[in-house]
Amino acid sequence: MKIRVRLALFGLAAAVIAPVFALHTASAADPLSSEQMSRIQANCLSIKGSLTQLHASDALLRVNRGQIYESIGTKLMDGFNSRLANNGLDNKGLVSIGGEYQKALTSFRTDYQAYERQLSVVLRIDCTKDASGFHSALLDARTKRTQVHTDVVKLNQYIDDYKTGIDDFVLNFDRVTGKKS
Amino acid sequence: MNDLKPVAADEPITFWDKHRFLLLIIGTLIISTALVAVSIVIYNVSGSAQLDLSRPGYRSVSDKVDRTDPVSDYSSFGPVNKETINGFTKIYAEQAKKAKAVDAFNGDPLNPDVLEFSDPTVSQE
Repeated sequence: MKIRVRLALFGLAAAVIAPVFALHTASAADPLSSEQMSRIQANCLSIKGSLTQLHASDALLRVNRGQIYESIGTKLMDGFNSRLANNGLDNKGLVSIGGEYQKALTSFRTDYQAYERQLSVVLRIDCTKDASGFHSALLDARTKRTQVHTDVVKLNQYIDDYKTGIDDFVLNFDRVTGKKS
Repeated sequence: MNDLKPVAADEPITFWDKHRFLLLIIGTLIISTALVAVSIVIYNVSGSAQLDLSRPGYRSVSDKVDRTDPVSDYSSFGPVNKETINGFTKIYAEQAKKAKAVDAFNGDPLNPDVLEFSDPTVSQE
C-alpha cells in the first residue's frame, strides 16, 4: 500500500516538474551565443534585406498558389460533387475528400497569416539593438513558415486523393452503367 | 393673433446655435474616423492585408501576380456520362499539375545558416 502511495506521489511530482523542465529546455533550446549576437548586429542590414525580399516573394507565392487552390476547391471539386449529387450518384468519397481539402485550405490561409504577421514583427525589430529578440522572433517565423509548407503538402496530397477518388468513381460508374446496358 | 407676436430681436443665441456648423464638422470627422478605424481592423483581421500586393514593400512583385484565372466554374447541373467525366478529369488534371508545379514554401530560408549568422562552433561539429 505504501509503495502505491509513494508511486502516486512520485507520479504527481513528475507531472508538476516535467512541464517546468520542458519550458526551461524549450527556452534554452537555441541560446544565442555572443558570436552569433555580434554577427547579427554586424550583418543586420543584409539580413533584413534578405528577409524583405523573402517577405515579398512569399506574398506573391501566397497570392498565386492560393488562387489555384481556391479554384480547385470551389470551382472544380464543389461543382463536380454537386453534379454527381444532382444526378443521384454516390459521391460520398469525393465529398469527404473535398471537405478535408477545404479544411486544409483554411489552415493554409490562417497559417500563412500567422507567418506573415510574425515575419513583419521580425522586420520591425532593430537587430543592431535587440539581436536576441530578433533571433527568437526569427525562429518563431521559421517554425510558422514550416507549418505553411506542411499545409501545402497536405493540399497537394488531397488533390491527388481527389483524382484517385474520381478514378474509383469512374470504375464504379462503368460497372453500374455496364450492368444497366 | 397672439401667435403672430414678433420675436424679440435681442433673444440670446444658445451655444449650440452659435457653433452648430463647427459641431457638424467635428461630428462628421469623428464618425468617419471611427468607420475608417473599423475598416482597417477588418482589413487586417480578415487576411486581406496579406493578399494586398499594392502595399509598400510589395511593389516589386505586384506586377507578377497571375491575373488570369482560366478555370471557370464547373456547372453543378448537367448529365453525368463518360464524356462529361472525361472532360472534368482533363480540366482537373491540368489544374492539379499547375498546383503542384511549384513546391511552395519549401526550403528553409529563415535558417540561421542560410542567413549567415549561425553559431560557428555548432556548424563546425
